[in-house]
Amino acid sequence: MSPIVEFDDVAFAYARPADRRARAFAFPGLSFTIERGEVFGVIGPNSAGKTSLLRLLTRVLSPRRGAIRLGGRPIDALRSWELAREVAVVPQEAPRPFPFTVEQLVLMGRYPHAPRRFFEDAADAAAARDAMIATETLALATLPLERLSGGERQRALLARALAQEPRLLVLDEPTAHLDLRYQAETAALLRRLNRERGMTILLVSHDLNLASELCDRLLLLRAGEIARIGLPGEVLEQGLLEDVFGCRVTVDKSASGRPVVQLAYDRG
Amino acid sequence: MIRVAAALVALALASPADALVLRDMLGREITLPGPPERIVSLVPSVTETAFALGGEARLVGVSDFCDWPPAARAKPHVGGMINPSLETIVALKPDLVVGTDEGNREETFLQLRRLGVPVYVVHARRVAEMYELIARVGELTGRQEAVAPLRAGIERRIDAVRASVRARPTPRVLYVLWPDPLLVPGRESHLTELIELAGGRSITAAEPVSYVRFSIEAAVARAPEVIVLADHSSGASTAGRAAPEKWQALTSVPAIRAGRLYSVDLSILHRYGPRVPEGLEILARMIHPEAFR
Amino acid sequence: MSDARRLAAALAALALVLIAIGLSALFVGSAGLSPAAVARALTGRAEPASVEAIVTLGLRLPRVAVAILAGAALAVAGVGFQALTRNPLAEPSVLGVSSGAAFGVVLAQIMGFETGVVAALGVAVFAFAGALLAAAIVYLVSTVPGGLAVQTLLLAGVIVGIFFSAAITVIISVVDFNRLSGVIHWLLGNLSPIPVTSLVLFAALAAGGVWLILRHARELNLLALGEESARQLGVDAERLKRRVFLASALLTGTVVAFTGPIGFVGLIVPHVLRALVGQDNRLLVPTSAVAGATFLLAADTLARNVVAPAELSVGVITAFCGAPFFVWVLRARSRPA
Repeated sequence: MSPIVEFDDVAFAYARPADRRARAFAFPGLSFTIERGEVFGVIGPNSAGKTSLLRLLTRVLSPRRGAIRLGGRPIDALRSWELAREVAVVPQEAPRPFPFTVEQLVLMGRYPHAPRRFFEDAADAAAARDAMIATETLALATLPLERLSGGERQRALLARALAQEPRLLVLDEPTAHLDLRYQAETAALLRRLNRERGMTILLVSHDLNLASELCDRLLLLRAGEIARIGLPGEVLEQGLLEDVFGCRVTVDKSASGRPVVQLAYDRG
Repeated sequence: MIRVAAALVALALASPADALVLRDMLGREITLPGPPERIVSLVPSVTETAFALGGEARLVGVSDFCDWPPAARAKPHVGGMINPSLETIVALKPDLVVGTDEGNREETFLQLRRLGVPVYVVHARRVAEMYELIARVGELTGRQEAVAPLRAGIERRIDAVRASVRARPTPRVLYVLWPDPLLVPGRESHLTELIELAGGRSITAAEPVSYVRFSIEAAVARAPEVIVLADHSSGASTAGRAAPEKWQALTSVPAIRAGRLYSVDLSILHRYGPRVPEGLEILARMIHPEAFR
Repeated sequence: MSDARRLAAALAALALVLIAIGLSALFVGSAGLSPAAVARALTGRAEPASVEAIVTLGLRLPRVAVAILAGAALAVAGVGFQALTRNPLAEPSVLGVSSGAAFGVVLAQIMGFETGVVAALGVAVFAFAGALLAAAIVYLVSTVPGGLAVQTLLLAGVIVGIFFSAAITVIISVVDFNRLSGVIHWLLGNLSPIPVTSLVLFAALAAGGVWLILRHARELNLLALGEESARQLGVDAERLKRRVFLASALLTGTVVAFTGPIGFVGLIVPHVLRALVGQDNRLLVPTSAVAGATFLLAADTLARNVVAPAELSVGVITAFCGAPFFVWVLRARSRPA
């Protein structure tokens, strides 16, 4: 079976940005695949290119060279709403201001399925309901998004992505703004979606341990290049991490057998 | 609207012998079935003239600003000069509306014409044009025979003023229409002519427009010998009060040093109607007090 | 109840109110016509040259039509700007767009456009251009990398409005002092009966603008997700913004061309409607159109009757309602949730 995502020698560079704070950045030539049904994590230091990789996949950015394929088809050949039916992105945080209810938010995810339609139809309502059930947000349907807790908002955003009925679910720093408890909830939810529905998940995160627990494979990015790609045990290796992140770490094993990365603080 | 116009045209064509073709003071032709019997006046000076000629019977409506003579206030009012109520005008069933190009809006005339109400526009910025206005109002109100005596009376009084001030030196006069920003009359304003008739010389007479926002510095530099402040306040309202005390500080100005700073009630001077000689006499008294002792 | 049915119900209710107010507007006025006389005129049984026919059909009816069109157009323009900027305080007068349009109209008048349908179209074009210019300036000034800075937006709108108002004053004071009071009167915003051909033009332009915004109403909802998310859902965000921007400027320019700048309709009406039908633009756009028509009609009926036979400018009434309303909304929004 062909992989669901293929990056084939993708090169990209930001033009010299006017904003001095953004560093000039380039992918010299990126090649990797994501297999159907796996949970794939992209990790690395800030400005290694994690978010840019995501943007290339969702066509917010265009590569200079190379091709990105989705289920074997180059994404350039897809219309934007066709792409949206395949790939759904859960953003880091909810947009502000956002005056709509949870249900209205989730229904927005149905747009790519019939962009010309004015009102959503019964099929859309059913898909939205299904997505809310899967994320346990059905009870919150009529509440305005702004009134929810951080964890609830995250689940609602996830529901919206699920309503798109994508083949690939992409999460950009899913736990970045969440309390510990909601981090655990989110991780459990993602695991369930992957196990029970076979959802392929691409996770971009700076939380190495979350990535370690959840992901089947990891891609460690360093300055736009692949430092290593493979199983968490292969990628989260002390020497490599110290080299890429530039600080001292220790790597242990968690109760589930996955690597656990700990920062070695200077006591001196 | 088209039907109304068609009706009028039909009426006009049906009785050609009675049709009246008028030409207003802007040269526009107006065709009426007969002499106007129900006139709405949007112009205070036209109202005053109509009363002075004894033709007020034909006036069925006046603007809110038509306050002279006092009997005019009893006539039905149709609203302001800028924004009269079209409905009220139409409800009075006028066969002619008289307006001016200085104070009314062209838009109002257009609307009235569109509704089938003929509009007669007057224009008077000089004494000569004022006589013309009196004659026209006489024609419209059927009081042609009263025109000549009224005119003669006005002419006599104006000539008397001119005689009194002739051969006297003409002082430099600053007329302040509005103090802040300083608004003064220019060449096109009737006030300039009135100042001249009253034996003075307006220091802003050379400005090519009718009213101009002038700089106080320039006014001071021209060293007026007489300053006349127009007083817009009426009754209890102090808005538009002449406020002479602000001028007292300009002690380089000959008018201030000589104490020749006057304020005058605006409404008489600013209408070109039968009360012009009154206004002229007041002005002349200010400019040449010695001639009227 | 499904969305479509809710929309139909809301529209039906609002339409009833509009009809009621519209009919009352036809029956009141400074001409003092009896209801029987007005009814006669409306059913065509009055003499064509009679007072009731001229007043009802020649004055009141066209004026009611203008109020409906202008009110609908301004309300929908408000919804458009609010969706684009994601701020409920955005509307044509607050953003300075009305002033830009007014500047365009004044320029057109100076250049000699007078009367007739062709001239009216010409004036509308100038008004549209002025509206676009003002809106573009405000938009560009407030756009920072990452989106629209809302605080800057409102401030920029005020400044642009002041600038164009000043420009108008300069032009007028240079041109003709005698026309000054007339222009000041026009700048307050007034409804007056316009001839049928112009009315048809007005209706066509207003309908076009409303249609443009309505067909993108669903995508406007998605814009609330943020541009990047909306794009990821398949929305062509740039094209959407451009179209709604143009449509809102068109609506504003059209109204200003025919009535002078009237403010706050686009602020008050969508805000009230949101409390009734919710945030969904698909419901908000059509209901705001009908409610905007009703609001302006009510304001204008008040304006021409409250100090009869003198008339107030309708822009005065909307400003009196709008300014306190703006302050109230501002305070409500800046209160911590």
